[in-house]
Amino acid sequence: MVMPEGGASFATREPVDFVIIGSGAAGGVLARELSQAGFDVVVLEQGPWRTAVDFGHDELGHFFAGDLTGHPSWSDPQSFRADPSEEATVSGGGIPAALYARTVGGASVHFSGNYWRMRPVDFQERSLLGPMAGTGFSDWPITYEELEPYYTRVEHEVGVSGAVGPFDPPRSKPYPLPPMPVKGSGVLLEQGARALGLHPQPAPVAILSQPYRGRPPCGHCGFCLGFGCEMNAKSSTLVTMIPEAVATGRCEIRPLSTVYRIETGDDGRVSEVAYLDASGAQHAQKAKAVVVAANGAETPRLLLMSESASFPDGLANGSGLVGKYLMGNGHSVIHGYFEHELNDWKSIQVTRIVHDFYENDPARGFYGGGGLDGRPLVNATPILHALTEAGGGPPRWGRDFKRDVRHGFSRHMGILGSTTSVPLERNNISLDPAREDAHGRPLVRMTYRDHDDDLAMMKFLQDRGEEILDAAGATRTWREPVVPQRFHAHLLGTCRMGDDPATSVVDRYHRSHEVPNLFICDGSSLVSSGRGQPTLTIQALAFRAAEHIAGFARQGDI
Amino acid sequence: MNRSRPSATRRHFIVGSSVALGGALMGLNLGQVLAAAEAAREMLDSESPLVNIDSELARTLSAVADQIWPQDDTLGASELGVLAFMDQAAGGFMAGAWPTIQAGATDLEQRALAAGSAFHALAFDQQTELLESVQSTPFFGTVHFLVLLGCFAMPRYGGNRNQQGWAQIGFEQRHAWQPPFGHYDGAVGGEGGHGDA
Repeated sequence: MVMPEGGASFATREPVDFVIIGSGAAGGVLARELSQAGFDVVVLEQGPWRTAVDFGHDELGHFFAGDLTGHPSWSDPQSFRADPSEEATVSGGGIPAALYARTVGGASVHFSGNYWRMRPVDFQERSLLGPMAGTGFSDWPITYEELEPYYTRVEHEVGVSGAVGPFDPPRSKPYPLPPMPVKGSGVLLEQGARALGLHPQPAPVAILSQPYRGRPPCGHCGFCLGFGCEMNAKSSTLVTMIPEAVATGRCEIRPLSTVYRIETGDDGRVSEVAYLDASGAQHAQKAKAVVVAANGAETPRLLLMSESASFPDGLANGSGLVGKYLMGNGHSVIHGYFEHELNDWKSIQVTRIVHDFYENDPARGFYGGGGLDGRPLVNATPILHALTEAGGGPPRWGRDFKRDVRHGFSRHMGILGSTTSVPLERNNISLDPAREDAHGRPLVRMTYRDHDDDLAMMKFLQDRGEEILDAAGATRTWREPVVPQRFHAHLLGTCRMGDDPATSVVDRYHRSHEVPNLFICDGSSLVSSGRGQPTLTIQALAFRAAEHIAGFARQGDI
Repeated sequence: MNRSRPSATRRHFIVGSSVALGGALMGLNLGQVLAAAEAAREMLDSESPLVNIDSELARTLSAVADQIWPQDDTLGASELGVLAFMDQAAGGFMAGAWPTIQAGATDLEQRALAAGSAFHALAFDQQTELLESVQSTPFFGTVHFLVLLGCFAMPRYGGNRNQQGWAQIGFEQRHAWQPPFGHYDGAVGGEGGHGDA
C-alpha cells in the first residue's frame, strides 16, 4: 500500500467543518466538492488506501480471499434472512449479503462501471402509475430535470465513455468520451436485438476510451468486475475525486478508520464521530457537521448504533424508516455459447445494452422495467469460469466437463437483465440482535425477499435475453434459475429522501429531518431503484448535495 | 453505546461471483492464501516433496483430481501440479476443511477396496463409477473446488504449471489487449465507435 503524499492533517480534538464517513462513490465526490469549496474535511474510511500498484490479476488472492471486500483488520460478518419471521443466519463463508468494497474509493474501485442515467419516469412513477398497496412506492422530492446538470457534471468530472441512445433522457452535454471498442458480447447482443426489432446502443461506462485528465485509456486486460484497475482507467473516486480533494490541502483521508458511533450533544446536534483504528484503538473526531456516505447497509447500521436519550430508536430515525425499503435491483442471467471465439474475457464487461424494456408496460401484467446487457459476467476469469460452467448447479467433472470448460471459455457470453425493485418495508437493514463483530458492533442483518413483480420482471428479461441469443445464433443456451436474491451489491433506499419527515429520513437536500448538522448521501438516499446501475445517480446526488451543503454552511445554516 | 473492544481476530469472509456457486464457494483467508503462495514458490524452487499430504492420501487425491480434470490431448490435473497446490492449501488456507477431505478419502478407499483395489489402482472407468457414488458429498465438493483452483490459479500458488491450465482453456494473462478481441468483432468493424443507433 503506497499512501499518496500531501493532504491535510487535522487534530481529532478540534472540530473540523465536515467529517465524511465513507470514501466511495458518494463520499469521494462530497470530499472533493466540500474541500474545494474551502471547508476543512476529514474522511473516515474503514478500508486501506490502495493504489493501482496494489491491484492485479490474482483471482485467488484478490477475489476469492476477499482482499477488497473483507474488513481489513477483523472479522465483520453479516447475517441474512428472507423474511422477518425467520431467524437470520450467518454464512460460514461466501458472498456477504451486503456486498461492497472496503477500500479508499469504495465500490467504485471494484465495480464494472456501468453508468446509466435514470429517466424522468424513475422520479415520478408513483404519480404516473398510481399507488401500489402494501409498498413504499413513492415519487422523489426532486425531478430528473433538477438532477440533469449533476448527471452531466459526473460524466465530465470522472470521465464516462458512451454515446446517446434512442431512449435516453434529455441531456445538456454529450458524453465527454466516445464509447469503448465493442467486443463479441456487444456485437452479438446488437445483432440479435436488431433481428428482433429492438434498439441496442453503446453502453455508457465510467472507464476511459481515450486519455482523459491525465489518466490513460483502458488496456482491455479483462480484470474489471471485482478487481481494482491497474491502469487507473476505471473512473473510481480513488483516481478522480480523492486526489483532487487531497490536493486542496484541506482534506484528510483517514484510512483504516472504522466508525462505530456518531455522538449527539445535549443540543440535539451531532458533535463527534467515534472510530476504531486498525489496531482497534478508539478515537473520536470532533466536527461541526457530519455527512454519512457509508453505503446503503453501513449507513443505516451506523445510525441505528448511534442511539441516545434524544434518539432512542437510532439517530435521525424519528420516522422509523432508517434501514427500511432496501432495494437491490433484480438480476437474471442467461448464458450462451457460440461457434467461434468471442474471447469475451478480454476488455471491459459491457459494451452494448438494450433499453427497449426500461419502462413499465401494463400489458406484461406486473409492475417493472429493466435493461439488458451483453457481458462475460463471471466467465471473464479462469477459476470462476470453471466453477460456474454448470450454471450454479452441482459440480460437474470428467472428460465432458473438461471439454465444455475448454470449449466455452472463449465462446461464452451472458446476457444480464437488471430490473426495478419494489420498495418494501419488510426488506431492510437492521442490527442483528444476537451477534456482534469482533469489536462489539452489532452485525448488519439483511432481511430481503424480492417482490413477486421483481421476480416476474427478472424472468421476463431472461426470456428476452434468450430470444436475443437465439437470434444471434447461439449454439447452446442455459439459464441461471430466477430465485429470490440473497445478496446485493446495489444497496439502495434505506434512508430515503422526501419532504415529509414522517415518511422519509432526509430532506431534498440530504439533511436529516431531525438533526440540522447531519447529512446522509449515498445509495440509501434513493426513493426508487431505477433499472439497475445506480452509481451515476448516487454521484449526481452527491454533487447536488455538496452544492447545497456548502451553501448552507456559508450562510451559517447548519 | 461505548461498546467494548474485544481483541481483533482474523477476518474470514470472502466474496465469490455474482451468481451462486453451489457448494463450491469456500471461505478463504487472504494472509493464509499469500503465505501458501510463498510456501509453494519455495517448494517449487527446491523441488521438495509434499509436506502436508502423506503419500497414501496423495495417491488418492491425485487419482480423484485426474477424474475431475482428466488428461485428454492436454495435461490432466495432477500433471498441472494440483497436488502441490493442494499441499499448500492443506497446510494453510484450507486447513479447516482438511478433516473433511481426509475422512472422505478414507471412505473412498474403503469403497475401492470393496471393489478390489486401492482407488488409484482401479481402472479409470471403475474410479469414475465409485466417484459418482460420492459426488454429492462435502468431500467431493471441496476437492472439486480445490482441483479447479489448482488448475487455474496463478502458478505461484503451486498449480497451473507453466500456465498450462490457462493455455488449455485459451486464456492468456496479459495487461493489455487490442481490439478486435474475437471472431465477431469484425461485424461492426472492430472499432465499436458509436454504432449506428
